[in-house]
Amino acid sequence: MALVRSLRARVVLWVSVALIVLFAITIAGLDIAFRDTNDRALFELLEVQVLGLIAVAEQGPDDDLTLPSEAIDKQFAVANSGLFGALFDGDGRVLWQSLSLLGRDFPVDELPAPGQQHYAKVDVPGFPPLEALIMGITWEFGDGRAAPYSVAIAVSLEPYDARRQGFRRNLIGWFGGVTVTMMIVIGSMLTFLLLPLRRLERQVREVEAGERVSLTGRYPSELVGLAANLNALIETERRRLERYRHTLDDLAHSLKTPLAAMRTLFAELKPRTQDSQIDALNRELERMDQRVSYQLRRARASGSTGLGTEPVAVAPVVDDLKLTLDKVYRDKRVVCTLELAPGAVFRGDPGDLTEILGNVMDNAYKYCKSRVHVTARSTSAGLELRVGDDGGGISPELAATLGERGKRADESVPGQGIGLAVVRETVELYRGTLTAGRSELGGAEVRIVLARAGAL
Amino acid sequence: MRVLLVEDDQSLNQSLATQLEKAGYAVDRAEDGREGLYYAQEYPIDLAIVDLGLPTVSGVELIKQVRADGKAYPILVLTARDRWQDKVEALKLGADDYVVKPFHVEELLARVDALLRRASGWAQSELVCGPINLDTRTQEVKVEGQKLELTSFEYKLLEYLMLHAGEVLSKTQITEALYEEDFERDSNVIEVFIGRLRKKLDPESEYRPIETLRGRGYRLAVARGAPDPA
Repeated sequence: MALVRSLRARVVLWVSVALIVLFAITIAGLDIAFRDTNDRALFELLEVQVLGLIAVAEQGPDDDLTLPSEAIDKQFAVANSGLFGALFDGDGRVLWQSLSLLGRDFPVDELPAPGQQHYAKVDVPGFPPLEALIMGITWEFGDGRAAPYSVAIAVSLEPYDARRQGFRRNLIGWFGGVTVTMMIVIGSMLTFLLLPLRRLERQVREVEAGERVSLTGRYPSELVGLAANLNALIETERRRLERYRHTLDDLAHSLKTPLAAMRTLFAELKPRTQDSQIDALNRELERMDQRVSYQLRRARASGSTGLGTEPVAVAPVVDDLKLTLDKVYRDKRVVCTLELAPGAVFRGDPGDLTEILGNVMDNAYKYCKSRVHVTARSTSAGLELRVGDDGGGISPELAATLGERGKRADESVPGQGIGLAVVRETVELYRGTLTAGRSELGGAEVRIVLARAGAL
Repeated sequence: MRVLLVEDDQSLNQSLATQLEKAGYAVDRAEDGREGLYYAQEYPIDLAIVDLGLPTVSGVELIKQVRADGKAYPILVLTARDRWQDKVEALKLGADDYVVKPFHVEELLARVDALLRRASGWAQSELVCGPINLDTRTQEVKVEGQKLELTSFEYKLLEYLMLHAGEVLSKTQITEALYEEDFERDSNVIEVFIGRLRKKLDPESEYRPIETLRGRGYRLAVARGAPDPA
């Protein structure tokens, strides 16, 4: 049953099997019971007819037994009535035969002894299958003489079989109807029962996609525990991420402050020591700084949608960055224009978005002549961010590096290398794409598409 | 120019202060946020360098309180957390620029210089007052195109006067901006330096760039900007 993954399919499958077995047994039982009843009715009918014939028998003019035609059931004289009769004497001679036999002989293999009777299936050519009862009797005449006779009655099995077929059809029809009804009932019951599970599933997916902070709403008592535990897990995950980031911040502070102190000390030493030694030390320091910066920033990028975080509106992040960069590059008097679709949101960690946009916009401010243009909009592929400038454009080597997935960039060009490398890796964590091209302003344009969480 | 340095790492604080002093700034040092906040609110400083990861009062909190107090001097943020969110937050709260650790001292000094210049309303790194031309980047001074040799203290004094061209600056103001320690009130050091600067700038006493306003102080009387070519 491992193949059947859906609970609903499992229940439906098991219930169907159980119903089919149960109904098969029931149908078989009822069929047998009906046949018995039917048989008994048939035998009674035959008996009644036999006794009826015996009742009207009388001594004929030739001192033998005879059946007066006016006293006999009219059905015996009707063709296709399905009722046939015959009277035999002790030697098997036919004394009387019903007209309904249409001149054919009543087929008898063996006549029973007086007081005996037997049932037999008989075939008369040209007639449907018949059931016959032959009873042996001893007739005492008025003069004290006694002689053996046999009375035979046959009835057509056609109506009996038709009734049985009809009963079977009805039975199957009814049980079929019941099965279908039960399946519908069970199906809708399952839908109703599984509704909270589906809601739970949807909400967990939304939490994962960053559309929801926690699981909400009332859950049935069996699921309350599960929902609460999931919420606790989400909260723990969020706290863990926070603690992890605090640790990284502390680490950055405690690693980089001594580096800064060393560099300042080198500057102090410079006039007194040989320049080449200080330069060598500075280069080592530079490398240490590059590695530390790169690894820390890389570690910080969560790439997760950050369980339990809400979607981040792009506009305020871009506005804040513009404010920051306008201040930092005040002397350059950069004109930065924004084109931000109101619905543009990022499903992920706000820090990651700020990091991506911060680095890219900082580069644009740094390399532009005087203009920067930032666009953000939602497309079918996800969130699209474009940052263009009117600078010298991006070098083909750098553009090529941007496209290379999974390439470590901690040893690449210093300066814009690290920032863009971190951007690229962060974008990759979100399964997004980062491409560089030419901006309408004439310089470089960096285009980032961050996939919709649901499309992952 | 008086600079407040708030940095909790002792050795960085020490060496950075040395470098700033060498560059001609008077430096007030604080090693935690509370002390830093006290100086920032009570001392007549021209610029504050604040580390974001401070004990007791965080750098962000310090900036917030300084700005809430109405102090408008520029604030340069030092941060080890090379994170845009921190930079954005600090600048939104009122900081003016940031430098990421470990920084080059030259870069930090250039930023400090640029911030001070901007605070005095100069957009360029070159200060021009009439015939006097001072390049804060190269620390070169020219008068009518002729290079002038100045001592570091004379340079700082001239830069201070030019940054506040047209304003009356009291002796106390100048002293506080150029020296950390409190001076003897009746010291005549400033007069001596002003005198030397006058001689160097205007040996022939042609245009008398520095005015003395008796009992009030000094003023650079040459208007900002290059002289009218006409």
